[in-house]
Amino acid sequence: MLAITARDEGAFALLYDRYADLVYSACLRVLGDTHLAEDSAQDVFVRLWRRPEAFVAERGRFVSWLMSVARNRAVDELRSRGRRRNREAAPSASGEDQMPLIAAGPEDDPLRNAQLHEEQRMVRDALVGLPPEQRAALELAYFGGMTQQEIAFRLHEPLGTVKTRIRLGMQKLRRALEGRL
Amino acid sequence: MDAVHLSQEQADEFAIGSLDPELERPIALHVAECGPCREMVRDAERVAAALALGVPPRRAPRRLRTRVWNSAGLQGPGILRRFATIAPAAAGIAASVVAIAAFTGMVSVRGQIHDLRQQNGTLQDQIDSTLSQKVQIAALVQRVSEEERTSAELRQAARGDHDLFVAMMSPESDVAEVLSVDPGASAVGRLIWDNEQKRVWFVASQLPRRPAGETYQVWVSSGGRYVSLGTFNSDESGFARYDTTLPQGLLRYETAVVTIERSGGAPERSGSAVFVTDLSRLHR
Repeated sequence: MLAITARDEGAFALLYDRYADLVYSACLRVLGDTHLAEDSAQDVFVRLWRRPEAFVAERGRFVSWLMSVARNRAVDELRSRGRRRNREAAPSASGEDQMPLIAAGPEDDPLRNAQLHEEQRMVRDALVGLPPEQRAALELAYFGGMTQQEIAFRLHEPLGTVKTRIRLGMQKLRRALEGRL
Repeated sequence: MDAVHLSQEQADEFAIGSLDPELERPIALHVAECGPCREMVRDAERVAAALALGVPPRRAPRRLRTRVWNSAGLQGPGILRRFATIAPAAAGIAASVVAIAAFTGMVSVRGQIHDLRQQNGTLQDQIDSTLSQKVQIAALVQRVSEEERTSAELRQAARGDHDLFVAMMSPESDVAEVLSVDPGASAVGRLIWDNEQKRVWFVASQLPRRPAGETYQVWVSSGGRYVSLGTFNSDESGFARYDTTLPQGLLRYETAVVTIERSGGAPERSGSAVFVTDLSRLHR
């Protein structure tokens, strides 16, 4: 990141190659539209190039921070467009399926990519281990940009039930990922 | 949120973005100032970010790279340069660089926080100064208002003095001495009757101020009937000055009497007399 701070385009290119698919995928998951996801992902990387100091290493791992930035940017876009969509676990057919799933990452650094893929596999396992209703509540909040009230309305469940699902879901996720984030 | 710190549940809800804005705002304000809670929220954000990390990855369109480079004003990575950048040797350098960047970023953020706090302090001082000036202005406005009221009273008194002086100087006026009914009383008074201005003045000194519930009332008798000219009271020094216009249609009057009546005045003369004067000698 310091190389990027020093305006090293090569370092930025390396970082882009490593995380572009992840950022784009997160944006697509939130927005459900390839064009909007592309716009948001572009914005994330441009901001990263212009303000690399926004990332502070002591606050956690870069990939977690970058995912939060991508998600927040996409949710902002979602809210600005008033398109609060119910993004359930299954991806929509509005374009998300049109891009191929990645079987393997870029080949720039096999070791790092292997680590990244291992992390992703571990996270997916943790998510799969969540009860569907807890996972749905978490995903509606995180990817749908919905408040608990809105989720309760959407799922026709009491607010207290939604709060409990989010609380339990976060607890289980935290336990499953303990020491790995 | 309790009085001091966030609960884990609140940190999770905040991190995942599921709170209503009115609940989110106070937590955001608290987190900005509370280190332990900020750390708890960051931990929750890392957990929440796993949701994004777990999304099945899709290949970003190739044009995205071009768009990013164009938008960021970059020239585009050359093949050799890119190859060199991704060489394993660069990874070690990058790791060191990341650590230094982290430190630099931390210092930068702390510097920004320090600057913001200084600006906040300056703004607070300005607000305090403005509020202080506002209080001073309010006090001045009130003082000016009181002065204006006093000035208006003085102007009115001066105008009354002027009118009284004119009446006394007028050849159309008469001045009658009013007599105290109580021979032991020291009060003295004059009645000035101005036919030109159709006004009557009553002036007295050393006249005891009536207590609450009582007042002096001036009467003139006309054809055996007493007609009220109004009520007045003396001030703390015993001085009294009262003036009124002559009642319409009052062509004849024999005497003037000042009585003590209940506050507000009586419809008919009923109280004891304090002053009496003979008006029969006045010019008609």
